[in-house]
Amino acid sequence: MTCNFTRSALALTLVLALAGCGGKADFPVSGTVLGLSYDGLVLTTNGMDLPVAKGSTTFSFPKALSYGEVYAVTVPALGQPQHQTCQVINGSDTAGRLASINVSVICALNQHAVGGIIREQAPDGTFRALTTDGLTLTNGSNSGVITAKAGTTSFTFGVLVPYGISYGVTVLTQPAGATCTVAPNGTGIMGDNAIADIDVKCVANK
Amino acid sequence: MKSLTLRSSVALACALSLAGCGGGNKNLLLAGSISGLSKDGLVLQNNGEKLVIAAGQTTFSFPALLSNDEAFDITVVSEPGSADCAVTNGKGKTGAYNVTSVLVTCVTHTFELGGTIDGLGDASGLVVVNGSDRQEIRANAEAFNMTRVNADNSYASGKVAQGAPYGVSILTQPTGRSCTVQNGTGTMGDKPVSSVQINCKT
Repeated sequence: MTCNFTRSALALTLVLALAGCGGKADFPVSGTVLGLSYDGLVLTTNGMDLPVAKGSTTFSFPKALSYGEVYAVTVPALGQPQHQTCQVINGSDTAGRLASINVSVICALNQHAVGGIIREQAPDGTFRALTTDGLTLTNGSNSGVITAKAGTTSFTFGVLVPYGISYGVTVLTQPAGATCTVAPNGTGIMGDNAIADIDVKCVANK
Repeated sequence: MKSLTLRSSVALACALSLAGCGGGNKNLLLAGSISGLSKDGLVLQNNGEKLVIAAGQTTFSFPALLSNDEAFDITVVSEPGSADCAVTNGKGKTGAYNVTSVLVTCVTHTFELGGTIDGLGDASGLVVVNGSDRQEIRANAEAFNMTRVNADNSYASGKVAQGAPYGVSILTQPTGRSCTVQNGTGTMGDKPVSSVQINCKT
């Protein structure tokens, strides 16, 4: 009994001493969120799932950790928001190693490629690959230029387009032996998948 | 590239600190960094000595070394035709160490992209794009350009850098009309483009 009392007293003293030093014995797992523009983000750690709404700039898990508990904040398999991908930075450590826990979550819009097919109509009406050099395609002013030589049947811009941003593929220069036009599907707004069906149709010059 | 720059910088810094130790005459470098230079044609000058800078260069160093306590004054004597370049920290006097803090910042000229609209009438809903730049055209408009003022009065430049390609196309047709673009694609020159033609029919 005495021993028990002494032990409890000792433990209490320790807790008090720690609390006195660090200022607290509980460590909420919290942090900042940057760039979250869509719903659907879930963060998880120590058995807790925390939905984070679009526009949030901070988060804090409901149950604080005790000194010495290990945490690892992650985005679970189906926890990414719509149209975005979030990364967790400084997500794992031991509670109490630093005065407070400050995890960073940074979200960016998903980006996808823009591309399609190039075909040339021969005088007999059949379609074939380009037969001459000189075709260049552009997607506005900031996505580079595609140079399509003879033999080309498809194209993909190297610069990816973020979700919700417009693209518009046009013919910058015509090939030597044909006149090309881009079908109306060459202009659009990027969704959740790469665009690979823009139709660049060329007609061989007579 | 970053690593190379870093390594070069470290090497330069080493060379500089070693050179700095000597302290004798004509043993100090006059050097710095350059950003945004995409074309040839930049020429810097210090005390009559000219230095030609090539497109894409990110550092420079004048061949002639300076003495301790020597004045320097770097100026731009010629710019690449398509950019404005400015020098910061370019004027001063050497101390015991090499001068490496000169910055040359170049900004490529940009110009407005736009043109005329025929036959739109009172139809609304026409939206045109130049790649990622998007512009909604109001009913009865007879001209347009790609720079827009947003509803919250923020401003989004639709200007295109000199030498960059552009391609105007139609994202959304106006109600009850069908529009096509002529002269919509090209390469930005040294003045605004106002020759894009949008023709609409019922």
